[in-house]
Amino acid sequence: MTSTLKGITLKGSAELVAEFFSFGINSILYQRGIYPPETFTRVTHYDMSLQLTTDPKLKNYLTNVVSQLKEWLFECTVQKLVLVITCLETNEVLERWQFDIECDKSAKESSVPREKSIKTIQDEIRSVIRQITATVTFLPLLEMPCAFDLLVYTDKDLVVPEKWEESGPQIINQSEEVRLRSFTTSIHKVNSMVAYKRTDSV
Amino acid sequence: MAEGGDVEWELSKENIQPLRRGRDISALHQALSQQQDGLSSAINQQRQAFESELRMYEGDDPLDVWDRYIKWTEQTIPQGGKESNLNTLLERVATRFTEEKKYHNDPRYVDLWIKFAETCPEPLDIYRYMQAQGIGVTQASLYIAWSEEYENQGNSRKADLVYKEGFKKCAEPHDKLLQFHRALQARVARQVMMNVQEEEDSDDEPKQSERVSLVDLKHRGKKKAIAPVNRTGPAIRSISGGLQSRGAPVLGNASNSQLVIFDESKTQSAGPSEPKMEPWMAPPTSRAKENEQRPEKWCDVKLPQKSKFGHTVMAPPPPKPTFQPFVEESDQPPTMTPCKINPAVNTVLSARKPCREETPLKRLQEHHLQQKEAESGRPQEQSMYCKELLLSGAAEFCFEELRAERYFKKMAQESQEVRGQMGQASASAAN
Repeated sequence: MTSTLKGITLKGSAELVAEFFSFGINSILYQRGIYPPETFTRVTHYDMSLQLTTDPKLKNYLTNVVSQLKEWLFECTVQKLVLVITCLETNEVLERWQFDIECDKSAKESSVPREKSIKTIQDEIRSVIRQITATVTFLPLLEMPCAFDLLVYTDKDLVVPEKWEESGPQIINQSEEVRLRSFTTSIHKVNSMVAYKRTDSV
Repeated sequence: MAEGGDVEWELSKENIQPLRRGRDISALHQALSQQQDGLSSAINQQRQAFESELRMYEGDDPLDVWDRYIKWTEQTIPQGGKESNLNTLLERVATRFTEEKKYHNDPRYVDLWIKFAETCPEPLDIYRYMQAQGIGVTQASLYIAWSEEYENQGNSRKADLVYKEGFKKCAEPHDKLLQFHRALQARVARQVMMNVQEEEDSDDEPKQSERVSLVDLKHRGKKKAIAPVNRTGPAIRSISGGLQSRGAPVLGNASNSQLVIFDESKTQSAGPSEPKMEPWMAPPTSRAKENEQRPEKWCDVKLPQKSKFGHTVMAPPPPKPTFQPFVEESDQPPTMTPCKINPAVNTVLSARKPCREETPLKRLQEHHLQQKEAESGRPQEQSMYCKELLLSGAAEFCFEELRAERYFKKMAQESQEVRGQMGQASASAAN
């Protein structure tokens, strides 16, 4: 990690962003009740208390995804990470959390660290996660048992790794979209957004 | 940092009531930006429009206006509360169509009832009332809401029974009911599993004596008193000076005795009892009452039977109580014992009882009773003006408003006719 340095390198940035996704995904799964709350444990990170899953299978899956993601972040080949929440029975997409990742590819060539302290980055990340928590104010209640899926958009020429498969975008038709805050490590910029099924009528 | 994101909703997230269906984000933004000074005129105008539509509606689906009005209120006044009038509206709409059989199993109407129940202090009473009235008995949503309420109160057995009742009534949509029932069963099963696990865990580990707060510890060391590291069990000095009560010294082992907690969900074998159908002839006692006395044995209790004027009433005077009952200075004892005065002579006026316990359910039942009475032809209060129209929504209208409403309607019609005569079909189509 780059904690002792003032600047931030590509590797550090990839790690920070990957860490954000690990906590962010856990937060969403907890907040939206995809997994029962008692399978989560509380940890303190970014100076706030966050919920992390204790379910071994889920943990394993997330570690896999995040480490793969870290690789892609390091190579600057990832464009988007999408968390899709679908109804277990009907497979209908109910919610779609989209994180657009903008990579500054010039960081690959020059290894000069960028000027941005970890503290400011973590502050930004914290406010994104806070906002994720706050979305319960307008999101519909998920009444059915739901499943989730993670989609990663990468550059086209990338070889699909063994454990991954190609997938459709899983767009919600007739959706309401809300942009959330974004953060940047000055190498990777992450814009967050949530889309959910529109309420019937007003 | 917050580009593209309107952060308004986040700043006032505590003032937004979460809705089951979620919120329309654009309506939310609009509502929050308009909220600076109370209710803006735009909102008031829209509300007025709904109010007058409620009164002037002539089609065959009056519930539709109510439904739209209530949904609009929910979305436009996100903080809820009194000024949203939501509770009033829900109560009015629930009361209003209780007699309309065609709405009884209309999903919209049932949803409104459920929303109404959720605002009441005792939702279970409302659900039972709905069942007795036949409102929503074939709608899965009623049983789901009902069961959820039981579950929230920790009664998972009753919650299950409610679903059984729903299946018996063939509530629709069947799939949804089935799904929610299964989800409930899964939750209960998980709970039981966790309890079992916890018990096993606690059996495995040796019982650790708990630390007792505020007890004296035996000190260690001969010259200097040093508090022991281990502060449980024998380290506690049992008898200490001062105000230690002699009767029950709180010791370590006393605190170990575990409280046995009765777990209802485990005693499944008790045999299912059917949810009772209550006849609802009279309004039920409201359970939200405070200071209500539980029924108990009275034979040992003696009532002081002396009135203020000192004349004894039949029974010999009871022995004085050993304590002086506290009487508030302002509180006058009843000046007269109730005695048999000829009711014809008794023209004493008394103030109306100030606090009649009013719950929405009670009002509802009163309304119901009144209607029954009206049907049976009993003389009843009858207003010789269109009271219904003036008071039907959440706000009160005055006669002039109604007149204006009719007048504008007529004007609009006339102008339309004129235009129609002039052959401008497009104008009338746009109307």
